Amino acid sequence: MRTIRISFIHMLGFVRRDMMLLAAGVSPIFIGLVIRLGIPFSEKMLTEMTGLPYVLVPYFSLFDILYAAIIPVIFCFITAMVMLEERDDHIDRYLFVTQLGRFGYYVSRVVLPAAFSFVVTAILLPACKLSDLSVLELLFLSLAGTLQGIIIALLVVGFSANKLEGMAVTKVSSLVMLGSLAPYFIPGPYRYLLSFMPSFWTGMVITEKQPIFMLVSVLVAALWIVVLWKKVGRKNN
Amino acid sequence: MIQVKNLTFSYTKKPFIKDMNFSVNEGEIFGFLGPSGAGKSTLQKILLGMLPGYRGSAIVGGMECREHGSEFYQSIGVDFEYSTMYEKLSARENLEFFSSLYDKRARSIDELLMAVGLENDADKRVSDFSKGMKSRLNFIKALVHDPKLLFLDEPTSGLDPANNRLMKDMILEEKKRGKTILLTTHNMQDATELCDRVAFIVGGQIYAMDSPHNLIMSKGAAVVTYTWIQNGEQTASCELEKMSEDKQLQELIAKNQLQSIHSSEPTLNDIFMEITGRTLV
Repeated sequence: MRTIRISFIHMLGFVRRDMMLLAAGVSPIFIGLVIRLGIPFSEKMLTEMTGLPYVLVPYFSLFDILYAAIIPVIFCFITAMVMLEERDDHIDRYLFVTQLGRFGYYVSRVVLPAAFSFVVTAILLPACKLSDLSVLELLFLSLAGTLQGIIIALLVVGFSANKLEGMAVTKVSSLVMLGSLAPYFIPGPYRYLLSFMPSFWTGMVITEKQPIFMLVSVLVAALWIVVLWKKVGRKNN
Repeated sequence: MIQVKNLTFSYTKKPFIKDMNFSVNEGEIFGFLGPSGAGKSTLQKILLGMLPGYRGSAIVGGMECREHGSEFYQSIGVDFEYSTMYEKLSARENLEFFSSLYDKRARSIDELLMAVGLENDADKRVSDFSKGMKSRLNFIKALVHDPKLLFLDEPTSGLDPANNRLMKDMILEEKKRGKTILLTTHNMQDATELCDRVAFIVGGQIYAMDSPHNLIMSKGAAVVTYTWIQNGEQTASCELEKMSEDKQLQELIAKNQLQSIHSSEPTLNDIFMEITGRTLV
C-alpha cells in the first residue's frame, strides 16, 4: 500500500508539472460553473426569445448526467496520458519490476484516480446540478460516471501505442458517454440498440426512475472493464 | 540463485522457449548470448515474473517466478537496454522516486552518482542527458535498493570506450560485493571479459553453456601467424600446439629472419558461429 500511495502522489506531482494536464484537472470546476449559471441563463434567454414556457428544462437531468460523467472522464483522461507517457518512456515496464509491481501500478494509475474522481464528482455534482436528484441518484451518477472514466482510460491505454494516438483515441472513446442521450431522444424500442453502453442505462435510471437499471448500468460497465482490462494486460505482455 | 528446469513458453501455439535447463550460482556473472529474436528477452521476462504462463519450473531466489509477491522485487535490480527514466525529472529526482518504491534504501544516491561520474549532473533534467549518461544513470537506478540479483540488458551499449570501461569495472565491483548478475549482450568482448559462464541461445534453445575460456579452448585451437622476407613479404601459419613441428618456422627463428610473429585465438563470436551456425547480429 505504501508504494501505491507513493506512486499515486508521484503522478499528482507529474500532472502539476504539465500545464495541459493541470488545466484539464481544474476544468471540472469551470464546467460546473458554466452549467450551474450558464444553462439557466440560456433557458431564460431562450424562453424570452421563443415565448415557450420552457426549452431546456426537460433536459436539465441530461446535463447533470453528462456533468457527472465528464468529471471522471477528465481525471481518467489525465491518468491515461500519464500512463501513455510512461509507456513511451518504457517506465511502466520498469515499475512492474519494482516492489510497486504491475497490480500496484494499475491501482495507482486507474483505481485511485477513479476513487478520487468519484469523491470530486460527489462533491461538485450536488453543487452544480440543475435537476431535482435524490441522494441515491447523485451517488449513482457519481459511480456511473467513475466507471465510464475507467472504461475510457482503459480504452485509451489499450488501443493507443503512444501519447499522440492516445489523444485521438480519447476523442473517439468519449462517445461512450453519449449512450445517455438515447432515452431522451430515441423513441421506443430503437433506443435499446445502445443498451450495450453503460451510459444508456444511466440515462434510463434518470428518465424511467427505475432503480433496477442502476444494477444493469453497473453490470454492463463491469463487463466492459473486465474485457478492456484483459486487453491492456495482453498489450503489456 | 536461479534454477530453470524444463522451461517451455509460447506466445502462440508454437513453442518460443523450448525445454530450457540451466542454473546460475550465487555471485556468478552469467551471460545470455544470442541474436535478436532468440528468446533472451522472453527468458528475462519469465525470470522477472512478467510472463507467468510458462510450463516447467523457473525458480529465482528460492521463489517460483509465476507465484511471486511484491517482495520478490526487493532482491532484484533491472537495467533494461533502453532508458526507463522520467525525462522531465532530474537524475536525482528519478533515483529518489525509484528508490522510494522499495522497503529498504541501502545505497547512497550521491555515492552512486559519483561512481558513474554524474555527480555534477544530478540536478539536470534527464532529457538533457546524452545516451551514455542515460545508460550510466539507468545502471545505478538498478542498484539503489542494493539487490542481490542484477539483470543487465546490453549495459555497455552506446557507451564510449572510457565509459564502457567504467561500466564494466562497476559490474565487476558489484560481483565483488556478492551480487549475482545476469547479463544479456551481443558484445562478445564484454561477455568474454565479464562472464563466468555464458549460454548460447538460438531459437529458444540453449546450444552451449560453459565459461568463455572453456568454450574457446574446446572448440578451436590458437593459431600462430608469422612473416618473413623472401622475394617480398611471405606469410605462414600453424597451430600453436604444433609450433615445434613447423620446420620452416624453426629455421626462420634459427636464422633470425622472422619479420613478425603473433598468435590468435578464436573469439567467442567464432565459437558461437561454429556451434549455432548463426551470427550474433
